[in-house]
Amino acid sequence: MEEKLYKNDILRDKQFRELRRGLLLRLSCTYLLPFVILIIFFLIEFNSLNHESQILRMKAMAENQSNLLDLFLKERIVNLRNLIDDPSLQIPPSNRDMDQYLNKLQLDSDAFIDVGFFDSDGVQIAYAGPVELLKKKDYSKEPWYVSLLKNDKRHIFTDIYLGFRNNPHLTIAVKRREGDHFMVMKSSLDPKKIYEFMTSAEEAGDMFISIVNKDGHFQLVPSDEGNVLDSSPFIPDAGSKLDISKAVYDDNSITYAYAWLDEVKWAVIARKRVSDEGFRGMKSGLIYLSAAILLILFAVIYSRSIKIANMEIEKKITRSQLEHASKLASVGELAGGIAHEINNPLAIVASEVGLIKDIMNPEFGLDSGFDSIEPHLANIHDAAFRCRDITRKLLSFVRQDDIELKQHNINDIINDLVEGFFERTLSVSNISMKLDLKDDLPDLTTDKNQLRQVLINIINNAVDAITPPGEIIIATSYHDDVITISIADSGNGISEEDIDKIFMPFFTTKEVGKGTGLGLSVSYGIIKNFGGNIEVESIYNKGTIFKIKLPVINFQ
Amino acid sequence: MEKIKLLIVDDEVNFLLSIAKRLEIRDFAVVTAANGEQAVSAAENNKFDIALLDLKMPGMDGKQVLEILKKEHKYIEVVILTGHGSLESAVECTRLGAFGYLPKPYEFDKLMETLKDAYSARMLKKFKKDEERVSELMKIAAGSSPTGILREMKKFDDEEK
Repeated sequence: MEEKLYKNDILRDKQFRELRRGLLLRLSCTYLLPFVILIIFFLIEFNSLNHESQILRMKAMAENQSNLLDLFLKERIVNLRNLIDDPSLQIPPSNRDMDQYLNKLQLDSDAFIDVGFFDSDGVQIAYAGPVELLKKKDYSKEPWYVSLLKNDKRHIFTDIYLGFRNNPHLTIAVKRREGDHFMVMKSSLDPKKIYEFMTSAEEAGDMFISIVNKDGHFQLVPSDEGNVLDSSPFIPDAGSKLDISKAVYDDNSITYAYAWLDEVKWAVIARKRVSDEGFRGMKSGLIYLSAAILLILFAVIYSRSIKIANMEIEKKITRSQLEHASKLASVGELAGGIAHEINNPLAIVASEVGLIKDIMNPEFGLDSGFDSIEPHLANIHDAAFRCRDITRKLLSFVRQDDIELKQHNINDIINDLVEGFFERTLSVSNISMKLDLKDDLPDLTTDKNQLRQVLINIINNAVDAITPPGEIIIATSYHDDVITISIADSGNGISEEDIDKIFMPFFTTKEVGKGTGLGLSVSYGIIKNFGGNIEVESIYNKGTIFKIKLPVINFQ
Repeated sequence: MEKIKLLIVDDEVNFLLSIAKRLEIRDFAVVTAANGEQAVSAAENNKFDIALLDLKMPGMDGKQVLEILKKEHKYIEVVILTGHGSLESAVECTRLGAFGYLPKPYEFDKLMETLKDAYSARMLKKFKKDEERVSELMKIAAGSSPTGILREMKKFDDEEK
């Protein structure tokens, strides 16, 4: 007994784990999976949306800044041209004039560092600014001077360069034709001031703005990004004025926007700060949040599945207990009919034994030879085995066997059952049992004991419904992969108000103590479990037909 | 001494034969019937003192046979011998006039005792009836013609059958 309990526990544990695993999987699929997919979808969408909007922003920024810078440089040219074209300009200007001019320029923009005036030989003959050394210096071989004179345009910008003063600056110069030679006015601009102007003009925000020349060297650059004149990772394509490109920066591939200036071969580079903190923060926050929600969901699902698995197991156990109880109950009902059957063979035994005693008794003077005793012994033998058959059938039915799915022929099960349990009981009760079993039934995978229980329950009810004499007809048939077992009785029938309730547990019309009300409800459960159905038709006072429909499915 | 005339009714042939044999060697005049119909027709042809009757039988069952026998035959005593014994059926059979009710398997001594008691009861009943008859005859005899007495006696004899 204990061993059996132990076995049951192990079985239960295994069942429990299987159930829990299945439930976890199902619940996860139903609740977690869509959530995860949603998160992933959202992240991807968010990423690409963010990416697109950033690109748009970078391009806008680069374009804005390049326009701004163009405008700024044009203004500076205009400042210088106003000076050189001034009719009141004395040639050559005095140094005092130059100081005044510088003041005037610096009123327009504090980017002006100095201003110089060159004669037609390229010598700076007047100068105002911080570097006194530059006075009288010959610039005629300087590349900017050479190209200014050659150029059609009246002005020229240089790239940033160190020049004589060894300090990064850029030079702008304008020329004025005077006969067959040129006068030139030149000024240096402070790149830092230009950069301040640019970035303060627009909210740079999370962008890095820098400017590179056509070789990719930094011209204007924030100090944390690089140094002026260093070569930058950005080499924009000179072919398109405004576009997106990629560069390798700190081993990362980053996307940047560039816009070429009109006035000078410079490009404004706009790119996101590397860290992307806002976005990353949001993204990782989202991920943490999702992970937390997932974790909570999983915990809920896990505990739910344990609870449900427990409930299922309990339900299974209760159901099997219920089934067993109803089985015992149906046996109890049967026993009234069948157990009495044991009395008849026992009476034969007692009677034959008495007779043999009489035969052996010399008082009666009968022939006590073997031949006269032998038939009586044979009768005793037969009677003993009749008893054994009855008890064996009862026991085999009561035993709580594990469910065993096997191929069975339904007709065999019915024949067995009728011979074993009902034939004699019915004949002495004046109820005739007719079988109409079709030969063409395929074998059915089912549990013999459970099916027998269902049949016994229904036949018991039929017997109880009949006031003798009457008849019960059991028929089988096979159509469209469904085996139908019909059990028809000529009994009292079921009243209309009861017919809806007959499959309900504990519903009974029998006297108290006679019926449990479990038989049909358990039978219904069993047949449903087999994938089948029980139908009932009844005419009050005429009879009832139960139809058990079983689909022929082979489980193995 | 005249043999006790006994009708045994049971659908178990082996049981029927063995019990018949045992009672025969104990000087009962036994007639057997394997079902209710046979029993009723046998009772029409013989005058039985006692019927030993099984209850559960195919066809006409024991209770019906009991009712018919008690209705048709004034002096017969019926002893029920059944494997499906219950208090309810015992009460009902007694109400229908059964003398005894024995469960199967039976004790032979108990059966013999019951049969003897049944026979005594039957005889007593017959004796009482006879006595009543005789005193009635005496009354008639006191005030009527000899032909009247003879007619009454003839009627009495007919009833006996």
